[in-house]
Amino acid sequence: MKPVSLLLGSRLTFDVTILAPHVPFLLKGALLTAEACGLALVGSLAIGFLVAALRTSSSPLLSRAAFVYVDLFRNIPFIVQLFFFFYGLPEIGIYIDAFSTGVIALSIAGGAFSSDVIRSGILAIDPGILEAAEVSGLSKPVIFRKIVMPIALRTSIRPLGSVFINLILTSSILSTITLNELTGSAKIVASDTFRPFEVYAVLLVVYASLTYLVSLAISALHRHLNRDRMPEVA
Amino acid sequence: MIRARGVRKSFGSAAVLDGIDLDVHGSEVVSILGSSGSGKSTLIRCMNGLEKLDAGSITIDDFDVSLPKDLAEARKRSATVFQLFNLYPHMTALQNVTLAPIQVLKRSRAEAEATARSLLDSVGLGARADAYPAQLSGGQRQRVGICRALAMNPRYLLLDEITSALDPEMTAEVLSILAQLAKTGTTMVFVTHEIEFARTISSRIVFLDKGQLVVDLPTEEFFAAEGGMARPRISQFLSKMRKD
Repeated sequence: MKPVSLLLGSRLTFDVTILAPHVPFLLKGALLTAEACGLALVGSLAIGFLVAALRTSSSPLLSRAAFVYVDLFRNIPFIVQLFFFFYGLPEIGIYIDAFSTGVIALSIAGGAFSSDVIRSGILAIDPGILEAAEVSGLSKPVIFRKIVMPIALRTSIRPLGSVFINLILTSSILSTITLNELTGSAKIVASDTFRPFEVYAVLLVVYASLTYLVSLAISALHRHLNRDRMPEVA
Repeated sequence: MIRARGVRKSFGSAAVLDGIDLDVHGSEVVSILGSSGSGKSTLIRCMNGLEKLDAGSITIDDFDVSLPKDLAEARKRSATVFQLFNLYPHMTALQNVTLAPIQVLKRSRAEAEATARSLLDSVGLGARADAYPAQLSGGQRQRVGICRALAMNPRYLLLDEITSALDPEMTAEVLSILAQLAKTGTTMVFVTHEIEFARTISSRIVFLDKGQLVVDLPTEEFFAAEGGMARPRISQFLSKMRKD
């Protein structure tokens, strides 16, 4: 106990008001985080559906290729993928700016996790429902769009929410490639003000609120997608 | 007409259909009877292309269901109602009925919905058009299933044990609709365990046993003492089913 009280004793003030002048700068970082995450969320959902469709397709080549993609990007630390894109690719003449790199890397990594969740949602669909769609003459693309995707989403929306929340948390790593998003700006403010305790306390709260908003949205979406199982309002 | 010739189908080493010949002409109601595992459902699933034939052929109005190009046309002419309804769970009754007419027959939404509403009305579900399958009883779901099939305006209605998952009361709901359809001249292939009902609506009865078509007779002859009943296998089957 002694060292702790000593540490607390060394600086007893907890004063977030000293951060007031830095609020616009932090907000800019938060906005960048929101933008990157918003785009990456769309990107990883699109990749997730595409790859899940390939993995459940009847073509062995396509499903194999999709499997390799998922296995590859799920099993490499995100920071290594990010460094490879940002510092590795320029060596072979491919330059992408930090923001785009961040969005692409998040989408690719998020897409690998999303596709796994969506795939299990697809496999859980009652085959009889797909047979009914098939014999009614619907084409494969229409069946995927109108039947497979919406039914798979009903069950996979909650685990997808965890993937998205993870995406937001992972976006803090984008600060390592010169992108001053929320975490990046917080680091700068912390070193400017010498008040890391206040700065990171605020950062904790902001990330927690951000992810809480996402889980609220996911819950609402889950209720909407499964509205038929809710008590009917007469 | 639906024409099956020498249809064979095996699952692994078990021969489920062992050389079936069957013709179903326009506005006939043909009931297919037989004990479980006799191949009745498999025969229907071969007709709508859900199972590939090992040998033989099935044509619907001369469109061969084994040819991918013909199958699409064959499927436009026939519609299937399933034992377990297989409704689209995320769509309302109305959306279940309108999906294929809009997507496959390229009907306008307004036209498809008008047709769907009158179909749902005719089976007593006009007020439940916006309900989801999970909010409907089994009998109601199967009535939606029938509407979904009829919305495609099929020449042939394939009915695969459509009352097997329903209690007697709901079974009666569904069968009364079939009786109406039979009167309007809809061609039906009716796989069922409802012997007495099959007797009232069918023009012909086909009896399958171990993948073979044992008897194909006009309904009256099938139930006549000197007709189908003269065969021990059939009289045994019928007396057993009636006891249940």
